[in-house]
Amino acid sequence: MKDKLSVMMLSWEFPPRVIGGISPHIYFLSKSLAKQGVKVYVVTCDFPDAPAHEVIDGVEVYRIDSYKNPSPDFATWVYLMNLNMQKETAALTRKIADDIDVFHAHDWLVANAGIGLKHIFRKPLLVTMHSTEMGRRDGLHTTTEKMIHETEAWLTYEAWKVICCSDYMISHVKWAFGLPSDKLVMVPNGVNTHVYEEIQNDLQAFRSKYALPEEKIVLYVGRLVYEKGIHILINAVPKILQKANAKFIIVGSGYMKEQLLNIARSMGLEHKVLFEGFVDDKTLLKLQRCADVSVVPSLFEPFGIVALEAMAAKSPVVASDTGGLSEIIEHDVTGVKVYPNNPDSLAWGITKVLTDDAYRKRIRENAYRRVQERYDWEKIAQRTKSIYEGVLGEYSKSFWA
Amino acid sequence: MRVIIFSWEYPPRVVGQLAEYVNGLSALLVKNKVETNVVTFDDAATGFTQEPTGVKTVRLSNPVKTHIGVLTWVLTLNQEVERAAANIYHQAGKEIDLIDVYDWHFIPAAVTLKNGLGIPFVYSVESLEDHRSPASNTPYNMAIKSIEWLGFYEADAISVKSQWMKDEITRIYKVPSEKITVISSSTSSNQGIRDTVKLYKKVAGDRKNER
Repeated sequence: MKDKLSVMMLSWEFPPRVIGGISPHIYFLSKSLAKQGVKVYVVTCDFPDAPAHEVIDGVEVYRIDSYKNPSPDFATWVYLMNLNMQKETAALTRKIADDIDVFHAHDWLVANAGIGLKHIFRKPLLVTMHSTEMGRRDGLHTTTEKMIHETEAWLTYEAWKVICCSDYMISHVKWAFGLPSDKLVMVPNGVNTHVYEEIQNDLQAFRSKYALPEEKIVLYVGRLVYEKGIHILINAVPKILQKANAKFIIVGSGYMKEQLLNIARSMGLEHKVLFEGFVDDKTLLKLQRCADVSVVPSLFEPFGIVALEAMAAKSPVVASDTGGLSEIIEHDVTGVKVYPNNPDSLAWGITKVLTDDAYRKRIRENAYRRVQERYDWEKIAQRTKSIYEGVLGEYSKSFWA
Repeated sequence: MRVIIFSWEYPPRVVGQLAEYVNGLSALLVKNKVETNVVTFDDAATGFTQEPTGVKTVRLSNPVKTHIGVLTWVLTLNQEVERAAANIYHQAGKEIDLIDVYDWHFIPAAVTLKNGLGIPFVYSVESLEDHRSPASNTPYNMAIKSIEWLGFYEADAISVKSQWMKDEITRIYKVPSEKITVISSSTSSNQGIRDTVKLYKKVAGDRKNER
């Protein structure tokens, strides 16, 4: 094997093009892999005013001419974009004299490109499944959804290894595509703790805009949609207020907003529950730093990055025991787990954190340590690198080598 | 000389006249000492076959069965065409002289193979989207036209069956006319197959000289 491992990442989004969670994921993973001595190339879609080629902390980023003619629909555009992506990545790989050890694709959005490049250059393909069409749509209802699902199945079939960000997603992906267990590997999502360290410690003035000095702050960050369980939190508020004085700050928006405002009003809680809508990044970071408890009452949650962010911000977490959250939180150690869809249980958990200062301090410290141990991008990059090395070891014994 | 022909129809799967044409041409090429591989689509009888004519065929099915339109169907099938061609290339000691692509369907695979492995290709034009769907400029038609354009742009040579088609390609896609060769009947005359082999040798030779 060469002295330096090299990987070609394929992603339809990379900063400044940010549509969902894949963009920051690739950004931090690539930079951290480069720090581990891996040569990383990222091929992604173009974006207004972003250069066609640039080097970010050792990561070579190439932005391809994504298909710009009008497309019949989004899914057809994805396949047309993949034609351009694979053409340009093939030319690039040839230009750098085949100096690529593995191709790493992220989601079905780059399935065709990843599969094509694997066979042309006869190098292993890895895929990270960040989500599935089945999960996003809660089933497969239309022709488009079935087509995307089959494309995902084909991609996981062609991949040497399939990476998922939680044990919950591993079992979901295994079931959805009928994959053998030894093909799946779990590497958690990471969180950047540095952004919280950069926030100044004196947040008294900022805090006073939201809460009285004697009020604790209970923070919810997320879309205001059914699956996030925000209505469970609203229903738990009166029970919490019997035992503790607190202000409930709700960040985010969604189709349930009007309904939730009405519920809060009819319950006479307008002075205790603040709906802030979307807030800018700086404000969000400060709120997370100020929060005496961060609540994640989700009914369905593939990973639960918001819980990790709270842990990184040293805000104690109360989360429902479901999906990826079950794995992130260790009950009574790094947070409090409560029964999903149960306001009484949620109220109990929040009250416990708010009323016991020593307990709050302990889980906050444990959680921050856990984030550094398990969810630090450096550690995630190390694990990813060792997966690449394992695959290359197997590959070296195959007839493709 | 070793070539691969891409055609979306080939016996026993006959849709129009292209299947029989490619069948006749590939048999004649073998007789003229050109090792000929045909990569084609067939959803029922898939796999590798050595035909009685001496032609080696690979019939592929689409890895994705449910589709919302011809474009998505073609673009996922292209990946299998690409895979089959890459297999032939690697198994033949990386020695493929060229790929001959019939119509737009498998242009994407040919373009990637050219950019990644340096295999030149000939774009053999049977018909154009502009004639199949006159005055249609919906996003669907435009996408097919953009694939045809990509084929004309990336091809090392373009082969047509009539002077009229050559003029149409020059008119619609502004392709330099010296890039287009008229071969009137490759399968029904000795002159036709001689011209085809001559064009193949020129394309393969030009590419070797570049290296």
